[in-house]
Amino acid sequence: MNFDLALLFLFSISILFNSLFIVAGINSIYSIFLLVFNFALSTGLLFLLESEFMALIFIIIYVGAISVLFLFVIIMLDLKTQNSFKTLYKFFPFNNLLVFLFLFSIFTVIYNTFDKNYYNNNFLFNFNINWLYKLDYVTDLNLLGQILYTHYVVQFLILGMLLLLAVLGAVALTYSKNKCLYKNNQSTFKQVSR
Amino acid sequence: MYYFYANLKDLIQFIRNNYIFSSMINNFCSFYLIPMQSNFICFEDISLIFPEIFFGMSILMLIFHGVLLSANKVYPLIQKSIINISILLLFFIFILVFNNTIIDHFSFFNNTIILDPLALYTKQLILLAAMICLLSIVNYLEYQKINSFEYIILILFAIFGLVLLCSSNDLITSYLAIELQSLSFYLLATFKKNSIFSTESGLKYFILGALSSSLFLFGSSLVYGTIGTTNFEDYKDLFFYSYNEIKFFESTYYLNLLQLGFLFITLSLFFKLALAPFHVWSPDVYEGSLTSSTIFFAIIPKLSLFCLLVRIFQSNFCDFIIYWRYYFVIIALLSIIVGSFAGLEQRKIKSLIAYSSISHMGYALLAYSSGTIEGIQALFCYLIIYMLSGICLWTIFLMIKFKNNFNNKGNKDLSDFILLNKTNTLVSIIFSTVILSLAGFPPLIGFYVKLNIFLTVIESSIYFAAIIGIICSVISTFYYIRLIKVLYFESGIVGNLYISISYIFSLILTSCFYLLVILFFHTNFIYLYSFNMSFF
Repeated sequence: MNFDLALLFLFSISILFNSLFIVAGINSIYSIFLLVFNFALSTGLLFLLESEFMALIFIIIYVGAISVLFLFVIIMLDLKTQNSFKTLYKFFPFNNLLVFLFLFSIFTVIYNTFDKNYYNNNFLFNFNINWLYKLDYVTDLNLLGQILYTHYVVQFLILGMLLLLAVLGAVALTYSKNKCLYKNNQSTFKQVSR
Repeated sequence: MYYFYANLKDLIQFIRNNYIFSSMINNFCSFYLIPMQSNFICFEDISLIFPEIFFGMSILMLIFHGVLLSANKVYPLIQKSIINISILLLFFIFILVFNNTIIDHFSFFNNTIILDPLALYTKQLILLAAMICLLSIVNYLEYQKINSFEYIILILFAIFGLVLLCSSNDLITSYLAIELQSLSFYLLATFKKNSIFSTESGLKYFILGALSSSLFLFGSSLVYGTIGTTNFEDYKDLFFYSYNEIKFFESTYYLNLLQLGFLFITLSLFFKLALAPFHVWSPDVYEGSLTSSTIFFAIIPKLSLFCLLVRIFQSNFCDFIIYWRYYFVIIALLSIIVGSFAGLEQRKIKSLIAYSSISHMGYALLAYSSGTIEGIQALFCYLIIYMLSGICLWTIFLMIKFKNNFNNKGNKDLSDFILLNKTNTLVSIIFSTVILSLAGFPPLIGFYVKLNIFLTVIESSIYFAAIIGIICSVISTFYYIRLIKVLYFESGIVGNLYISISYIFSLILTSCFYLLVILFFHTNFIYLYSFNMSFF
């Protein structure tokens, strides 16, 4: 069996099981974390399908923004959660391992992308243009931009209107001019001390 | 897999090249010596989409205007002025859309947006209906003490989405337009923040609408996965002339997967239209939300959603009629039955109208499922008359307001209309006329359109559906006539006193009333209009 295919099956099956656990989980914070894991797995799936930009966008937007927002909302609600401060030192070596791995990967990427310049051995002139790449080489992001801003320009504009509508709706639903509309005002002290 | 797609691309190209009666694009391109390609964008396109561009820009300007004024410390009351400005805006867009009628059939922006008689006439109807609805909600908003300009802008966003939906020729565009429309409708439903009913109905609408939107997305992804395109023009090229070659297509495509995708798309559209197995949200949402929002949910979106349904199933997917026809008939019959039997139980007038609208959508779908051109014509006739009588009915409903202050409830029971005949005779006459037109009584236009539907259904030999539809129509007449009984013959000791009607209301009411009566004698106008819409 092909290694790619095996990875594909692994990712997709684990995505399925993960989504099951997200729905069936009792503690909502665990299910949010499983959601994050699910996004990470789908990033792997997208990498296998050779759409790198979408994969990275998945990590940045879904994990970085949306799941964190969900987490924020759930913690704002009155749910019973345990104090996890005691277990901080338990994960310390693991965290550091992750950091070193990440650093190593960044270094390898930098080392591999900046080719040596054959004509000038100076550090400042360490870029090199490979004309073969320039000939017919379109990255994922470039391609998406080309299609999005030419063929689907109307749809792109409608999408902008949609986002504006979402912002407008959120403001219209939450903002009120007379303060006495809500009897239960948000008390920051209560939320912090929770 | 790659080989499969490559074959398909070749097939599309082959069909394109041998396409004798090709659309106006080719003529246009050859006339102006533009290289004929399916994917190019010229400056001409921007002038054709000008109404939509104007609409979007002016919504942005209106938001700017409202924000600047309402951030003032004086808190000026800008609700009424914004309503007037937006009516003017809709009128300008109506003129711009009217200006586009020179063009017969043209699809542009990489074939994602289309301009044909169907799109143009539906846009005009929607804009007209929206203008009248905006006129009629002014007093109600004042009465409900809603003084935020965002409400009107949300309505404008919804109309923008509906106008885009009429001319969308692509699954992506139609999804975005549906989202624009339905997101603003969720917000309109839940707009009154201090009312539990409004919040509950908004949440219900949001959850079920999100479910149906995700069904639409899933279906379109399946369709895209099967045939590799989301464009309706490509579907037309692939499927329209393939009636004799369905066996060939079965061997080439994963036909079952394609049908599954289209099934999901239709399911989501039926959710939005509130047809029978998917109708459960509609009476609750109609009941809970503000009446000024309900008037928009009830009247306007049906026409453009049916426009999309017709676009998908008539122009592209028509040759698979043997697969989808009986499902459509069954769903139509189910919604007719549910609408006419569950309406008997209702005591609140808003949910009564909701059930009546479910049964009306059932009749419209029944007309469409005949699969003929006459069926489409009957469908659009029916929808136009539904909108007209809906405007009249909801305007009366918005207008009737008690004089005593303590009875501050927004929703009305049937018993609130007791002895309306004594207090305001003319309004009760108009009310009963509209109700009789909805029920389908002979000297009114409602009779003709219903007759038309049954005739087309019988002509395409779906006899059992016609019989069940006629029987259910008779049954549903019961609750329509009960309303008239409440208006005229209920023996209440004390009637209610109502606040007198403003000039605009009386104008809307009388014009709708005259249209309902006169269109019966001069049916040419509406038949011609819907005839133009049915050939696209």
